[in-house]
Amino acid sequence: MNSIELCDVTKRFGAMTAVDRVSLIIDEPGVVAMLGPNGAGKTTTIDMLLGLRRPTSGSVRIFGIDPSVARVRERIGCAPQQSGVPESLRVREILEFVAQQYPRAFDVSQTLSDFGLTQYARRQAGVLSGGELRRLTLALAFIGMPDLVMLDEPTNGLDLEARRGVWDYIRAYAAGGGTVLLTTHHMEEAEALASRIVVLNNGRIVRDGSAQEIRRSGTRRVSYVDSSGSKIVLSTDDSDTVVRELVRSDVAFSDLCVTGQSLEDAILSLFEEAV
Amino acid sequence: MSTLRVAGSSIRLQLLELARRPSFVVPTMGFPALFFTLFDLQYARAYPHVAGGMLLSYIAFAIIGVTLFQFGIGVAVDRTLPWERYLRTLPAPIWLRFASRIVVAALFALCSAAFVVIVATAATSVRFTPGEWLFIAACALLGAIPFVLFGLAIGYWTSPKAAVPIANIFYLLLSFAGGLWLPPSMLPDFAKAISPYTPTRQFADLLWNAPHGFSPAPLAALAGFALLFAAIAAAGYRRDRATRFA
Repeated sequence: MNSIELCDVTKRFGAMTAVDRVSLIIDEPGVVAMLGPNGAGKTTTIDMLLGLRRPTSGSVRIFGIDPSVARVRERIGCAPQQSGVPESLRVREILEFVAQQYPRAFDVSQTLSDFGLTQYARRQAGVLSGGELRRLTLALAFIGMPDLVMLDEPTNGLDLEARRGVWDYIRAYAAGGGTVLLTTHHMEEAEALASRIVVLNNGRIVRDGSAQEIRRSGTRRVSYVDSSGSKIVLSTDDSDTVVRELVRSDVAFSDLCVTGQSLEDAILSLFEEAV
Repeated sequence: MSTLRVAGSSIRLQLLELARRPSFVVPTMGFPALFFTLFDLQYARAYPHVAGGMLLSYIAFAIIGVTLFQFGIGVAVDRTLPWERYLRTLPAPIWLRFASRIVVAALFALCSAAFVVIVATAATSVRFTPGEWLFIAACALLGAIPFVLFGLAIGYWTSPKAAVPIANIFYLLLSFAGGLWLPPSMLPDFAKAISPYTPTRQFADLLWNAPHGFSPAPLAALAGFALLFAAIAAAGYRRDRATRFA
């Protein structure tokens, strides 16, 4: 059963097309990152998967069911926006309230400790710092042992250490058979976490593959020093052919160097292509 | 998931939120009793034959306040909160939140009215038999329905900021025109003219007669108001859904 199935999905707001004929199937556990600049359609896509918005056309399925159907919500988890958590309720009360809605859920004390919140269990949400609140909202996404977790920019506002902690948790969750779909505009995050990266731009999927595949898909640089001692740099989509031609042409060269691009470069070049 | 259990804890959490904001709860809850003490207690003591009517007026005043604030301001604020959006992604059905809001509002109204009853019982000679209280409670419950819907209409049509003055203005004007503070016969002419057409006056009429049973005319009028407010609230609800969850 596919956990996520978007079939030719378009979402328009008035004249603006936020998501433009997107098709995407996620059929195995793991972490999938949706990467793209602001306005690429990431959040709108997540909202449709959560049943909060309906597509203008096309179909959205979660475990084969329309996401607006209530029983599918027992199998998904997401994090509320930080600003929304009721200020006068205590951390433990909020976690317990959410946990009890799921057919099976993690032990609240265990989750508190997993997210470094044990010492804040009795604090009211209104007095938590930004990072503590962020960890609480992430804990809420996982506490119901969902098969599918959807996170919109999960590590925004976390310091480096907390970010690594959350990454570890997400990785372990996926390794345990869960599917995590997250949005991010940090290449580093996508690369560190995701077995699959879906790149969105202007509401369209422009690339879909592993970090390695996406990196490979862009241009590479072939450089060498010719007989006169000057450095030549060639940009190419097919470095193998360039090198083959170079050798065959029998010119003298030294210091041959083929550089792939970083994921960041690869993705930036994708956005430039699309413009 | 047991829906009943989630409903229970939803109610518990809403009550906790209220209990942790005593500076909001105590004045709001005690306001009708305070008003009664300041403006009408002396008359209730001087004219025992109208004391019962006054007490019932202030019970209506307490209930209307809670419904307009809990459902008007409460819904206007909550519907724009990211938390409300999050709750929609949880397994519990979304009507559960609404159902627990009704229970919380009913408890709130009960306390608010109880303060009025305590003051009146302590300071005047007014007394009702348990049988009369039963009718009063039933009429209060029925009469509250159009005001819940009125509150929802305000909540779905106004912004969180606008809801506060709008709910207050309707609350005070309708209470005045409905004869909840001054008996209708003592109202200024213009208020006397519109009084019979206000839902507050119909609610008051229902309660004033409640010790003797249900009176059909105000019940029918309140049912009419309920339909009107339900239509306005439903249109507002649909508009809200269409803009935020389309």
